[in-house]
Amino acid sequence: MSFFKTFINSPVGPKTTHFWGPVANWGFVAAAMADIEKPPEMLSGNMTGVMCVYSALCMRFAWMIRPRNYLLLVCHASNETVQLYQLSRWARGQGYLQLKEDKTSST
Amino acid sequence: MATSKLQALWNHPAGPKTIHFWAPTFKWGISIANIADFAKPPEKLSYPQQFAVTATGIIWSRYSLVITPKNWNLFSVNVAMAGTGLYQLSRKIRHDYFNEEETAVIKE
Repeated sequence: MSFFKTFINSPVGPKTTHFWGPVANWGFVAAAMADIEKPPEMLSGNMTGVMCVYSALCMRFAWMIRPRNYLLLVCHASNETVQLYQLSRWARGQGYLQLKEDKTSST
Repeated sequence: MATSKLQALWNHPAGPKTIHFWAPTFKWGISIANIADFAKPPEKLSYPQQFAVTATGIIWSRYSLVITPKNWNLFSVNVAMAGTGLYQLSRKIRHDYFNEEETAVIKE
């Protein structure tokens, strides 16, 4: 019970924006999971590529800001993982990850 | 005079030597990627993704004014994100829900 109270009243808890900012960023992870089965032609290479670089930077950002934000860090680590996976799916769909012998046509 | 002002910017706690600068600066990439996707046909847009972009932009606009140091670069980029996300959502919603009469006629 007291753990719950500590959490509610924490300086990075749900009464503060330090909590809801990262919660909003879990939206990116949720969106990527919702799109995980989508055919690669429907994926946006632009957005996915940008997300990969962006989440890497934000992992560092979460670590360096004060108060340090572990929730944000975990969120972006997850997003990095899922976005890299989606990027690989997109790239394979575009023909970028073929073995040299397989390459018969250019996209 | 100008050099000392530039030096002050260069050495700022949220300046280009820090992640406080580069994370928000790169976040412009999300809005730029979204603007590049304005050209995409609405069928190819993703509701979950655009909703995430919009919601993130709105919540983070507030978050950027509460952290230490205050980050106006982050604030402006999130306002832009919310804007592009809302536009993409409106494009897709308009296509899915307000073009029904056209598609109904074509189906006949």
